[in-house]
Amino acid sequence: MATLQAILNGLLVGGIYALIAMGMALVFGVMRLVNFAHASFLMVGMYVAFFGYTLLKINPYWGFVLVGGALALFGLGVYWTLIRRVMGQSDFLQILLTEGISLCLVGAAQLLFTGDYRSINLPLANRTANLGPLNFNVAYAVSFAIAIFGATSMFLYMRYTEMGRAIRAVAQNPGVAPLMGIRVQWVNGISFAFGVACAGAAGALLLPIFYVNPTIGGPYNLKSFVIVVLGGMGSLEGAALGGLILGVTEGLTAYYWEDSYTQVVDFVLFLAVLLLRPQGLFGRKAP
Amino acid sequence: MRSRILITGLLLVAPLARGQSYSAKVGVIAPLTGAEQAFGAQHERGYAMALEDINAKGGVLGKPLEIIKYDDQSKADVAVQGASKLVDQDKVPVVIGAYSSQSTLALVPAMNKRQVPLVIPTATADNVMASKSPWVFRVCGGADDYARATVDFLKTIGLPKSLALIYENTNFGQANAESMRVQAKAAKMAIVADEAYAQAAPSYTAMLQKVKEKNPEAIYFASYLLDATQLMKQSRQVGLNPKIYTSAGTGFAIPAFISPEKGAGKDAEYTFSTQQWMPESKWPGSREFSDRVKARFGEYPSYHAVQAYVSLLIVADAVNRAGKWEPKAIREAIAKVEIPSIFGPIKFVNQQNQHPILITQVQNGAFAIVAPADQATAKPILPTPPWSARP
Repeated sequence: MATLQAILNGLLVGGIYALIAMGMALVFGVMRLVNFAHASFLMVGMYVAFFGYTLLKINPYWGFVLVGGALALFGLGVYWTLIRRVMGQSDFLQILLTEGISLCLVGAAQLLFTGDYRSINLPLANRTANLGPLNFNVAYAVSFAIAIFGATSMFLYMRYTEMGRAIRAVAQNPGVAPLMGIRVQWVNGISFAFGVACAGAAGALLLPIFYVNPTIGGPYNLKSFVIVVLGGMGSLEGAALGGLILGVTEGLTAYYWEDSYTQVVDFVLFLAVLLLRPQGLFGRKAP
Repeated sequence: MRSRILITGLLLVAPLARGQSYSAKVGVIAPLTGAEQAFGAQHERGYAMALEDINAKGGVLGKPLEIIKYDDQSKADVAVQGASKLVDQDKVPVVIGAYSSQSTLALVPAMNKRQVPLVIPTATADNVMASKSPWVFRVCGGADDYARATVDFLKTIGLPKSLALIYENTNFGQANAESMRVQAKAAKMAIVADEAYAQAAPSYTAMLQKVKEKNPEAIYFASYLLDATQLMKQSRQVGLNPKIYTSAGTGFAIPAFISPEKGAGKDAEYTFSTQQWMPESKWPGSREFSDRVKARFGEYPSYHAVQAYVSLLIVADAVNRAGKWEPKAIREAIAKVEIPSIFGPIKFVNQQNQHPILITQVQNGAFAIVAPADQATAKPILPTPPWSARP
């Protein structure tokens, strides 16, 4: 029973990991760009949700859609002014640029909002529910449900819409896609915006159960990276499943070993996947 | 060619000349951003108040006192760079800091190497004093004092048979857990759970679930603010019901922790904590200081602000008696400091200020002093009601 409880707790946290990591996986899959600023966009999303709630009384449990939308526009702007210029350039340039964007976002947040942490107090976040002998926090469960819904709808969008097909085509072969009449620039921009929107929406869902300060993103970048590798670089369903797996692994580690070893286990998992199945759970073998 | 030799010569001589002149400023290292920012803000308030008081009395050596602040971003490696920035570049002859035990421990060898005195305001891990460096002074009481005061208090209310340790996994948490292991063993209290955790995780429920199954009579936490808040909220969620929640000050001891907007709010109720100072402390001036901070910053200070405040007063007093801004002279003067303060009488024995520890309990949304008997303002409420019986 205790094991079940640990798995349940892990799953609920894992749902949010999944949503964050899917954004990173999308950007990597389509653009071959490891976005080191990903978790900083998460932080921006949390601030947007925070001010949406405190100034405009927008509840983050539906406001996450608005936060996602706002972040998508922001992401599009960042793509058009900066990221576009390093597409097709060396990995090194891309890493430097995204890391630079991350530093700018964190610095700007510190300047605008100071280093102080902020949190919101929703009654929902303090409510506990029971599922048979298991108990769980209602806010986590709602965030989990929304994250899974978001992940599923993104998956369906990619599978069944024209834009989704175009995005997948660019992911499969950025050289041939333009020959089929697909505007790669445009697809890249949309993908980046989608990726940032995922981080933003996840930020809105994370805020009621956590807190925000300018440096809150740090650990999530690493976790997302581990998840993306675990699921198979660029695979959306892999990232979704990888997020859940990481959440459950952390829950079980904290229960059977010690909470402070969760990061160790994260990285052992990371190394094990690289050694034993470098293409990840859902990745295809490199041609 | 000749000019190149000249420049090379100057570069070689420059480091020798550097040692001779120091600026008339005090260096301060604190976490102004990052996870420990709440405590850095307390430090900043303490320093601001001290500057106001010192300069109102004519400053230091006849001039207004100035400090140079350095943000360690709540990271130990950045704190060490602060030593280099403040001493090597800004040439300050004395430094106060850092905030956390982790950053302070890293700072000690860096200051020792530079032979510039370091005054430690808040680091409780006792290993920050282990180097026996003559350049290091500590104002606050340490982890051993916390554990001893807590066990002494538990004895007065009936010593629990079993204890769980829950602590953050950097120097502060580890040191306080170790001190409690020693004290618990001496008092024959069984430690039934021993759990270290990483700060800034969104969920501790798995760990708390595990502790719950061990059914401890009491818990001793060593936590910073954000984790303390999460731990209490999630203790409610998993229904962790010890008779007594105790803690090693810090996150459990600052006003933000009991605030419903910023901290655990009603979930903080009944928790015990060690404290180094309270507005109600018997030391003269405590109440006035507290009111002044409230008027200026909108919030009552925690003991961290007072320790920063007193640290700067100590340094100002030492420089005045040394008569010059020079590290060795300032070190000698700090060693002989003997001043009354709102933090009690300051006097260093083996470079450690002798300071008594208070125990508080959160009662009706405020900290009340429950021990020692001569400072107590309220009686402890025991046992802690189970979560199911709390609003």
